Amino acid sequence: MSRSAAVLSFWILLALVAPWLGLSADAIHLDKILAGPGMDAWLGYDDLGRDLLARLLAGAGVSLTVAGCVTVVTFILGTLVGLIAGYHGGWLDRLLMQITEVFLAFPGILLAIAFAAVLGPGVGNLILALCLTSWVGYARLARGQALALANRQHVLAAQVLGASTMRILIKHVLPLLAAPLLVEATFSIASLIIAEASLSFLGLGIQPPHASWGAMLRDGVRYLLVASHYVLVVGGSLMSLVLAVNLLGDKLRDTLDVKDRNF
Amino acid sequence: MPEHRSTASIVTCVKAFLLLAMVGLAACGKPATHDEIRFAIAQAPLTLDPRYATDAASERVNRLIYHQLVDFDVHYRPVPSLATWICSDARHCRFSLKTDGRTFHDGSRLTAEDVVATYRSLLELKDSPHTAEFANISDVLAVDADTVDFTLKHADDQFPARLIIGILPARLLAQAHDFSHHPIGSGPLKFVAWNRALQLQRVSDGQRFVLQEVRDPTVRVLKLLRGEADMLQGDLPPELVVYLKRQPSIVVKEVPGTNDSYLGFNMQDLVLRDVRVRRAITLSIDRDAIIHQAMIGGTRPATAILPPEHWAGNPNLKPYPHDPKEARRLLTEAGIRLPLKLVYKTSTDAQRVRLATIMQAQMQQAGIDLEIRSLDWGTFFDDVKHGKFQLYGLTWVGIKTPEIYRLAFHSASVPPAGANRGRVADEILDREIERGDWSAATARIHELLPYVPLWYEGQFLAMQAGFAGDHLSPDGNWDWMQTFRRKLK
Repeated sequence: MSRSAAVLSFWILLALVAPWLGLSADAIHLDKILAGPGMDAWLGYDDLGRDLLARLLAGAGVSLTVAGCVTVVTFILGTLVGLIAGYHGGWLDRLLMQITEVFLAFPGILLAIAFAAVLGPGVGNLILALCLTSWVGYARLARGQALALANRQHVLAAQVLGASTMRILIKHVLPLLAAPLLVEATFSIASLIIAEASLSFLGLGIQPPHASWGAMLRDGVRYLLVASHYVLVVGGSLMSLVLAVNLLGDKLRDTLDVKDRNF
Repeated sequence: MPEHRSTASIVTCVKAFLLLAMVGLAACGKPATHDEIRFAIAQAPLTLDPRYATDAASERVNRLIYHQLVDFDVHYRPVPSLATWICSDARHCRFSLKTDGRTFHDGSRLTAEDVVATYRSLLELKDSPHTAEFANISDVLAVDADTVDFTLKHADDQFPARLIIGILPARLLAQAHDFSHHPIGSGPLKFVAWNRALQLQRVSDGQRFVLQEVRDPTVRVLKLLRGEADMLQGDLPPELVVYLKRQPSIVVKEVPGTNDSYLGFNMQDLVLRDVRVRRAITLSIDRDAIIHQAMIGGTRPATAILPPEHWAGNPNLKPYPHDPKEARRLLTEAGIRLPLKLVYKTSTDAQRVRLATIMQAQMQQAGIDLEIRSLDWGTFFDDVKHGKFQLYGLTWVGIKTPEIYRLAFHSASVPPAGANRGRVADEILDREIERGDWSAATARIHELLPYVPLWYEGQFLAMQAGFAGDHLSPDGNWDWMQTFRRKLK
């Protein structure tokens, strides 16, 4: 197993076992506000005197769930829309792209505020809001790639041989555009974790006292001068996760790249 | 050997370059020779037109650019600023302009006509947030160049205390001058320019001030430490204030504050309309622990909107103690099945959310399960005004007169008519407010608990060493700019 896969597995495993470790992520100790690492708290305390290790583990589950769910849903949705638009062309392409552009033009923050007012907080609502604003990147990318691929020789050959549209899309187009989409997906993980914090701050998603990495990072930055351990712990964890995901994405891209295959 | 020499030359060149670069960088970081005093502020004023200003920064700057008829003493009693006054009855007041402070920054003289034009303009404006405050004015007349008569529609004993709007020149008002960006007043500081930063100049000695907006608290502190700012005031996490106090080059001045932070209840809520529940919530909060551990110095527990030293304050009120056991008992007595689930709405301000999280943990001990919802300011305040909340947290800023009790607790003051956001409706309280018996009114509010007064947040000013002048005001205004100067070396 590669090191990046090991790091990712490490975080997923910690997130899974965290509820059974008996750590109290929400217990406030006002006398230990921003205290540094020690024997009683290996990673120190946050701005409310809560054990940073416990919150890091509790937050990992939330952040990974949100980022993972949103990435999977938006990847599938965006790719499907882009693929159909790019391959089909004509009125369907124009219609789907105009819908995409409407979503792209609509300010995400405004949508989040509207969602917060209508739906209220909750992880499900947060995922929904992030999905609604995040699929357009995949759609545009997939559409651009599909447009170029639609006239390739192997696609035309498949059409002449009577292959169904579904078969052509899945067997002959999708594998070729998977690589850039996967890279896009790996890059979106970090931004989704940060976006989760922003939306939670606006009343949609994770509300206090529950932990999430994005919220911890945002709070930690405020105390950079007086408690650098706070932001370093969260920032370092986030960096290790994002780096691992990106490296895995690269590896996956290499594996999927049909040009590198020896036939 | 030539190769060695060449290597040595390169090393010397690199060293020289690095030295020059370091000197250059150091020069960038340190302040250039300057005479101005640079003040890093969390939020720039929105408007320099006092008829439209509602945000704290605008009101603080406008106090310095314009003169107002009336000001307040240390006990918040109205005292003459630009004018003295005599009220013949509760509907007629005559203001006589004093001799000092009557020169506008463009050189013209401030007369009674300017006062009349300012208040008439306020009454005529359709979009001024202050127009409603002066709706009781029936007529305002200039008797002569130094005397103005105000006639009211209804009796108002507190009327002079309302005249705290800066006076604008009548000539420029007639020309629809853009005061919001090019203010001309007669105050101790005059406007110079407002591009990236707001520049003001003290009239008495020409001392310049540069007010630069730096939103991020950490960056604001770093600017002060690196000498890119000379001072900053308020809007910092308490830990950063403690950090600044430890810096040898920085002086931090703290004063007890007067702005009351509170927790408001919706009195129409099925659960919260029971006073035992409200009392239980109050008893579940350990204010002393919060003040001691998570607030800046100078913060003190509050018992009413106006502090005890205010002339209408009530020093006999005692803060409710922290007693989670009694809170549980009261909730049980009220027939509440624990845990009691409540929703608390607050803004996205990081310190407000932090304090709410502490209260959430404290309330848990009393069997109250508080859900915190941090909302953007627009949504939050709209919800508060429309009564769409169970509990919410806000702060009364810059309150000077006991009229606030009418505004916040009289049954006729439900928004949009006033600020009775909790929908308090109590006949006894209404009568006491109408009588102006503030001692009885505050005692009644303390007993009814339509809100929980939490604390008066302390004020602080952090500055480079080497400044002299009057320091901070408890309401956090920027009046120190009238006297602050660099000490002579």
